[in-house]
Amino acid sequence: MAEALAQSRAVASAQQRKKPPIFRFAGAYLVLTLGAAVAIVPFLYTVSVSLMNLTEANGGAWLPSTPQWRNYIDAWNQANFSRYIWNSVRIAAITVAGELVFCTLAAYAFARMEFWGKNLLFSLLLSTLMLPEAITWVPNFITVSWLGRVGPIPWINNWPALTIPFMASAFSIFLLRQFFMQVPSDLWDSAQIDGAGHLRYLLQVMIPLSRAALMTLVLFSFIGAWNALAWPILVTTTPDWRPITYGFFAFIDEAGAQFHLQMAGSVITMAPVIVLYFFTQKTFIEGIATSGLKG
Amino acid sequence: MSDALLTGETKSASSTPRALPVAARRNILSGRQGRRVREALLAYLFLTPAFLIVGVFGLFPLVFAAFMSTHRGINRIPGTFDGLGNYITAIGDLIYLLSFWSILALIFLAVRALWRGAHEARAHNDAFWGWAAPGVAFGVMVSAGLGWVVRLLPLLLDIPNQLRGARNTPENFQRLLGEALTAPQVMQMMGLMLGGLILGALSAWLMARLRRRRHRYGNYTGSFTLATILLALAGAIGWLTWAELERRIENSLSAGGGLDLASQMILISAGFLLLWLSWKLWKSASHRETMAGAIFRLMGAAALILGAWVLIAEAPRVIAQGDRVWWNALLATFYYSLGTIPPQLIVALILAVLLFQEIRGRSFFRVIYFLPYIAPFVGTAAVFKIIFSNRPTAPINSILNFFGLPALGWINEPNGVFNLLTPGVSLPAWAGGPSLALVVIMIYGVWTFFGFNTVIFLAGLGNIPKEMYEAAAIDGAGRWAQFRHITLPLLSPTIYFLTLYSVIGTFKAFNHIYVLRTGAALGTTDTASVVIFQTFQRDTRYGYASALAVLLLVVIIVLTIINNRVAERRVHYG
Repeated sequence: MAEALAQSRAVASAQQRKKPPIFRFAGAYLVLTLGAAVAIVPFLYTVSVSLMNLTEANGGAWLPSTPQWRNYIDAWNQANFSRYIWNSVRIAAITVAGELVFCTLAAYAFARMEFWGKNLLFSLLLSTLMLPEAITWVPNFITVSWLGRVGPIPWINNWPALTIPFMASAFSIFLLRQFFMQVPSDLWDSAQIDGAGHLRYLLQVMIPLSRAALMTLVLFSFIGAWNALAWPILVTTTPDWRPITYGFFAFIDEAGAQFHLQMAGSVITMAPVIVLYFFTQKTFIEGIATSGLKG
Repeated sequence: MSDALLTGETKSASSTPRALPVAARRNILSGRQGRRVREALLAYLFLTPAFLIVGVFGLFPLVFAAFMSTHRGINRIPGTFDGLGNYITAIGDLIYLLSFWSILALIFLAVRALWRGAHEARAHNDAFWGWAAPGVAFGVMVSAGLGWVVRLLPLLLDIPNQLRGARNTPENFQRLLGEALTAPQVMQMMGLMLGGLILGALSAWLMARLRRRRHRYGNYTGSFTLATILLALAGAIGWLTWAELERRIENSLSAGGGLDLASQMILISAGFLLLWLSWKLWKSASHRETMAGAIFRLMGAAALILGAWVLIAEAPRVIAQGDRVWWNALLATFYYSLGTIPPQLIVALILAVLLFQEIRGRSFFRVIYFLPYIAPFVGTAAVFKIIFSNRPTAPINSILNFFGLPALGWINEPNGVFNLLTPGVSLPAWAGGPSLALVVIMIYGVWTFFGFNTVIFLAGLGNIPKEMYEAAAIDGAGRWAQFRHITLPLLSPTIYFLTLYSVIGTFKAFNHIYVLRTGAALGTTDTASVVIFQTFQRDTRYGYASALAVLLLVVIIVLTIINNRVAERRVHYG
């Protein structure tokens, strides 16, 4: 069997040697490049329109004659982007911080500890993944306004309504649990001999070992917080805590036919996430691939 | 391993009894049992914050939405009790059919839970019915807990109204909270809960004592608890439906007319029953050995479908009573789902298979494909709105113009695509298909998600052992044969996962559709989530929006079940 395999490998490599790979895969490259073009052209078009002047943008030009960098300044001032970006950064930071603490603790309990009702609680948690967001809008809006009216601080138009409901999600707990379960259990046994309890083990062994997983979690929840639209529309009535998605969504209507300003705003909205993505894309894609599959 | 460690510890402790004070040994928090209790307590402590949030904002909304959906809830929360009124507004008399079938389904699930438990008990030679007492008691406890929430909710929701102005002090809040918690109807449910807990704990303890002498015994409390909860739910739905029916009959009697409701319901139910039977026949036909038998069965199935069609033909008249906006929204959601999932999966599969070869720049392509998924959708949707706008100079229209084709309305076009494809022929409304505006949204959906699917497919391809292909190559299998007989079957778990994920995802979809909707498209792009959002946010109809959301959840659950059923046979875990 092994000989046959080796033989077949030799045959395969001989076949490969006949043609240089670039020609052998010419068709494949063509299709793949076409796919890449489809994926990237809308972004290039966004940048292109954002640098046009009004007549070019409305006249259907493909490229600007001279780049109008002023558009960015105009869009920034008209749409009040400095306020919205600051809001989005604040919201994302609070959400990510809370999610890191709460989800790590819960994921560790599910991955490494024994307790009564573990399976029941875990399946309850996973069942929330199937719920459509729509079913939570009315109840959560009522809950949040109730909490704000009877509690010490208002929740509507304030950070609690925008951050606290997202500080623990089934998806994040599931993702971290998968990573925690891959850490060999021998480590736990030797940590126990050294007299470490669960909390110490979590802080000093688990967290340093799963830095990649935590990074993935941070990226996911940052982008989730940055992208939220429905919930911010429901719970912000003033610009005080309104995030950038809502700000830009309102600006699309406001700017009307001024496509160059719209697109400049679009670039401003997308830039932070895309820059972050390019710096961390490896972690990110691996995270998606593992968490999506190892169910 | 840790158990061995533990027993080692306790042994050494018992071998030196003097070193350990007697009181410490008696302490429940020491020793082997104690360690487990301590670990469980710590685990609950770890879980508390996350479950507090998921519970309040993820699970409780389900109960709350069901509660709100039975109330009027227009501008006022929760408003007056309205029974199934909101559901009747949404889907007309079909709600009776729906509740009838869901009661049947709940009873079926309860019986199946018991049957499975009994089956397992018999296999292990265990006692089964003895666990009924604690199981039913715990089930009553959980159901009473739900009842407690439902009775407490209106009282809690009223607290802010009494706390207006200067009276908004923590003391006042505590007083009102206390009053709400001790209200007689709330206390009643509390008593039922406590009674269930005590009775359940007592009888469980008794069962455990009686069984102790056996070497090992199974615990089947869970089956009974589940069955009790399901039956309680069925009872609640039944009660709601019955109350509604009584009201209806009274109204129609006082109006002097009869009620053709029962006949409608029976006809349509019988139609669905026939459909189900014909499906069973169809399936059995594929197992027949002889040709004649198979043909006979297929003909039977066809006849049954015909019969079902005649019976279900009653349905459109019933549907017409419901909310047109809601039916159109469901239809748009179905179109969106059908128009997005197959193309995006096929494109992603092709790209993934191509990328999986020894291609240079694989990670480069992956990064690019993933970009649309990761970019904030408001930004990309805004570009799509411009690219597919109805101006003659917009990019897509100028490309059409280059080929000498007329400009189209795209994102602003409410007409169905089949209408547009067959100019001159006026199709009936139902045959028009999705509007062109909705098709643009489908294109956006495919564009956003194909990269995500490609990445998951790549991971799935990576799990297929290389030796399979080598062995197949030795046997002379060509590339297509390899794809057909190795890649596809071994990739079926991934395909199943992505299909389920996309079906649920498309039925939940809101954000980009909300950004891409235009006034000119006349609401043809409004999917279920968008309509729910508008009902809630624009019209402030809290109760009705909740009812629609519950109906959407029912649709998603049914689709998930169908998906699982289909996958059961097709998915190959190799």
